[in-house]
Amino acid sequence: MSAMVLRNSSHPEPGKFLASVLALLVHVIFVVFMFFGLNWKTQAPEGMVVDLWHDLPQPVQPIIKQPPVKTEPSQPKPAQQPAQEKTLPPKIASPSPPKKPEIVRKEKKEEPKPVAEKEPAEEMQKENDQEKQREKESEEEKQREQEKAEKAETQRLQREQALQQQREQEALAAQHEAQQAAERARIMSEIAKYKAMILTKVRSRIVMPPDLPGNPMAEFSVTLLPGGDILDVQLRKSSGYASFDSAVERAIFLSKPLPLPPNPALFREFRNLNITVHYHE
Amino acid sequence: MNATITQDMSLLYLISSASLPVQLVMALLLVTSLLSWWYIFRKLFVIKYAIKQSNEFEDVFWRGADLDALYQRAGNARYPGGSMERIFEAGFREFNKHQSDANQSAVMAGTRRAMRATFQREMDKLESHLSFLATVGSVSPYIGLFGTVWGIMNSFRSLSNVTQATIAHVAPGIAEALIATAMGLFAAIPAVIAYNRYASDTDQLATRYESFMEELSNVLQRRGV
Repeated sequence: MSAMVLRNSSHPEPGKFLASVLALLVHVIFVVFMFFGLNWKTQAPEGMVVDLWHDLPQPVQPIIKQPPVKTEPSQPKPAQQPAQEKTLPPKIASPSPPKKPEIVRKEKKEEPKPVAEKEPAEEMQKENDQEKQREKESEEEKQREQEKAEKAETQRLQREQALQQQREQEALAAQHEAQQAAERARIMSEIAKYKAMILTKVRSRIVMPPDLPGNPMAEFSVTLLPGGDILDVQLRKSSGYASFDSAVERAIFLSKPLPLPPNPALFREFRNLNITVHYHE
Repeated sequence: MNATITQDMSLLYLISSASLPVQLVMALLLVTSLLSWWYIFRKLFVIKYAIKQSNEFEDVFWRGADLDALYQRAGNARYPGGSMERIFEAGFREFNKHQSDANQSAVMAGTRRAMRATFQREMDKLESHLSFLATVGSVSPYIGLFGTVWGIMNSFRSLSNVTQATIAHVAPGIAEALIATAMGLFAAIPAVIAYNRYASDTDQLATRYESFMEELSNVLQRRGV
């Protein structure tokens, strides 16, 4: 019997280690699923700005039309046109339009080459005169185009100068505006500060009715006298809970005199005051 | 309180911000779940192995193999025998020991007893740890529920200090507490399924062994005559 017991113990149960590995694996998979499979965050969808275009801008067509008109590619014009095109399509538009012209340009440059190579080969065999004439013509053409390019460049420079002047003027105007804006901002911040003070004073005196669902909001229009006294309080927009409305109204009357800025010029901003009180801050 | 509020409700944050008893319950449940899955896989392999070996032995036995040769093979320490083989070995040994005796019914009774003893031992081995799975299956949901109740209790108690109660005050606490219940269920469901499956498997094996014992005692009786 003892031999048999020994024999039994000499054969351990199979797959003990494998079982532990598998058990761990199950848990790891489950945890990974819980982390990445489920979205635990509540997020409002982000707003986005969309430009709607009736048609996509078509900068490709004018280039395609050009090659038949002139055999040789004029350098300045293609250089200018892409520049114009780049200003035309907005950055939001799909990236395909700016890419296409490049491909087209390449094709265009490749096309004339074989023609230019073939023609001299034929003329070398037959007539040299014609070749010379054509060369002359082509040289003249080149000259003409160079002149054109120079003209275009001078025009471009003039335009740029005008633009720069405009920009400088605009910058000056902007500085002026910025100064004014800063002053306005200072005044506005003063007003906002006192409005916030008024709101906190009112809030501190509200006896909140308990257990209102959601975040109701009451809007009051308050007429003030110089010095902070309250002339009149009117409910402009009810929160939907009469208890809350009346609590806020009482709090407004309780919190007089309301804090006002010392500068009397600012009082007109406070003569007819709108106070909006939320149930939760 | 505007609409674009973003609340961090990631799993790690919820677990780490739970109170200590809830965390303890979660740790306990994690360990329980790991152990129960370990036993589930172990038992899976063991029971499959036992069924395979029983099939092989029965195949060899009923093809009319020599009983002495089978006994020799079963006695070989290097040969990994199955439960059925061990039952056969125990019965055959007992039968051979008593062969000199004339009283045949006494010999058969002894043989039966020896086989039954081995059978009990083998069944014990097959059914070991199944009770653990049953316990996990029935208890771990309650452990998880305890963690949840504790967490919800706490989150409601902290609510009593606030004058204006909203669902936003209670929700994170309840969410983190409910993780405990989820973990309990995660541990319990596979354990219950595995327990039922393995219990029926071992029952089937037990019936096979018992019928084999009866048949073997018949074979031995005929041989002894």
